[in-house]
Amino acid sequence: MSVLSLLTILLDGLAFGMALFVISVGLTITLGLMRVVNLAHGAFAMIGGYAGSVALANGAGFALAILIAALAAGGAGLAAERLLFRPLYSRGDLPQALMTFGLTFVVIATLTILFGTAIRIMPLPPSLAGLVDIGFRAYPAYRLFLIAAGALLALLLWLVIDRTMFGARLRAAVDNPRMCRAIGIDVDAIFATTFAAGCALAGIGAVLGAQLMPLEPYYALRYLVLFLIVVGIGGTGDFRGSLVASLVLGLIDTVGKYFLPGASSYIFFAAVIGLLLWRPRGLVPGPSQ
Amino acid sequence: MTTKLRNLGVAVAMATALAAGAVSAETVKVGVIATSSGPFARWGEQFQQAIQVYQKIHGDTVNGTKIEIVYRDDGGPDPARVKQLAEGLILRDRVKFLAGFVFTPNALAVADLVTESKTPTVIFNAATAVVVRKSPYFVRTSHTIPQVAKPIAEWAYANGIKRVVTAVSDYAPGFDAEQTFARQFKAAGGEVLDSIRIPLSATDFSPFFERIGQMKPDALFIFGPGGPPTVGMINTWASRLKPAGIKLLCTAETQEIDLPKIGPAALGVVSAFHYTETVDNPLNKALWKNLTEMFGPKTTPDLASVGAYDGMELIYRAVEKFGPNVTGDQAISLWKGIAFDSPRGPFAIDPVTRDMVENIYLRKVEERDGKLVNVNFQTFPMVKDPWKEWNPE
Repeated sequence: MSVLSLLTILLDGLAFGMALFVISVGLTITLGLMRVVNLAHGAFAMIGGYAGSVALANGAGFALAILIAALAAGGAGLAAERLLFRPLYSRGDLPQALMTFGLTFVVIATLTILFGTAIRIMPLPPSLAGLVDIGFRAYPAYRLFLIAAGALLALLLWLVIDRTMFGARLRAAVDNPRMCRAIGIDVDAIFATTFAAGCALAGIGAVLGAQLMPLEPYYALRYLVLFLIVVGIGGTGDFRGSLVASLVLGLIDTVGKYFLPGASSYIFFAAVIGLLLWRPRGLVPGPSQ
Repeated sequence: MTTKLRNLGVAVAMATALAAGAVSAETVKVGVIATSSGPFARWGEQFQQAIQVYQKIHGDTVNGTKIEIVYRDDGGPDPARVKQLAEGLILRDRVKFLAGFVFTPNALAVADLVTESKTPTVIFNAATAVVVRKSPYFVRTSHTIPQVAKPIAEWAYANGIKRVVTAVSDYAPGFDAEQTFARQFKAAGGEVLDSIRIPLSATDFSPFFERIGQMKPDALFIFGPGGPPTVGMINTWASRLKPAGIKLLCTAETQEIDLPKIGPAALGVVSAFHYTETVDNPLNKALWKNLTEMFGPKTTPDLASVGAYDGMELIYRAVEKFGPNVTGDQAISLWKGIAFDSPRGPFAIDPVTRDMVENIYLRKVEERDGKLVNVNFQTFPMVKDPWKEWNPE
């Protein structure tokens, strides 16, 4: 066991952690920040991911495919917010859980009819498909790109939520919508925009993470537990919690797989249980509700 | 003139007789239980398309007996449901044959039932070695995992690969593959450095493969359930182990229908399998041609197609020989030791085990005309399932 292979494992863990963050960051917005029980996160991600893969198949570049994924998932999110979510905001958790779960099945069935059950092909651009020399070894460029993309998304979220007027209004609207309306903030518009943004992030995450979590119609259910774990461990109040949770889980999972491959799934879930026992409200708990 | 008229009269009479014969002809029903919905729906679709191609080529009647297919969807591995469906088909629909069965537990679920009702049953897939032993009315047209995992271990040792690591998905067929490969490879004199079982839920394979890379084996043998885990394993091999000169060995993972999803990472992968889509024989060409004509240019035959196609051949032959009132014992006695040409190459049913005997092809993934394909480079002729020799009854 050399220092260099230890470095590789740490890098692998960081990349996998960032993949978890990128893929579930949209849920930290809709479930974490807006407190909507959004079990359809994976469904919105798939809508974006499929749109992106269709764009790629028709010759679009990777950046354009990501943009199209964001627009498709965001658009679907906006429509769903208007038609399905808004009547349920005040109805508590269970109706939201049932509705979003049902929505997930509708999206699965629709995508199966349109595209079949096979995995969607999501080729990387040549610049990301190869290996890069990082001094001590050749390392997949895609994984370095994931780390950078995750860091960039986290920075953007921090700027928008903590440093803009929109972010301040959003936090206020979540905490006390009636008071916000009373002082003239358009709560409905803020919720619609934010929900659409969360869904757009889901679509972006689906394209970025497709090499580790390939897109197929059951994507929305296959990885749902993973999305919920990230947000649950992170704490529902703050996306920074999700970032920390993703990185911690990514590192634990990777180190476990490397040293004890036979016990790797136990290690991951043992870590989840341990973290929840230690911090039941998440690593970075939000304000009490 | 009178002769002409009389001839015409005879012709009309004959035509009427023929038509009457066709109308009163008997029908033999075949119940096909397969997975046509949910994540494994492709299996049912491939079965159905191959059956339709078979009936297009051979017609839907044999010696005046019409063959009618009754499809039932089991939705996935669901033994209880499959047993119900089979009871319904045998008792209510009065099917003479059962066929289909994608998953081993589904095939096992009907074993007692078909033994009791003496229903000849053709298993199109369900590749666990033991399945056919569970009922004297079972035959099979697919492959077993040991049947394909043994030849690739043999080939590997004979071709300079002395040290391997095996990495399989953590489920029963994975253990079959791992144990068969290790048994054959060690018997030949090779060394298995490590046997890794990867959880089915794993999405990132890098740490496993990083560990394998540290051991510097000559080759890695993998087995996965298809879909995301397989794509992930091959891609991770391509980015981590291929540059270090570690070869990749597998079985069903590089089917042509899956190759576009894996992409260029699959180039150079060596696999052993009983059906190669590009195999050059007239039956296979006819299968391709009809599939693409009937179901679109992107349709690709795979192990499911060839299993269903040859299964239909067995059923047609039984009806051809024994007519519409064929019994289970007649059909099984005909099938024991039967041999015919199939799109996969020569095909036979072993008279003792009732399992398929077939060529196993060693293939390498190459690019031809901008498309990834498997190219055969060696044939192990008429291989039997080794599991039955290793585990005598």
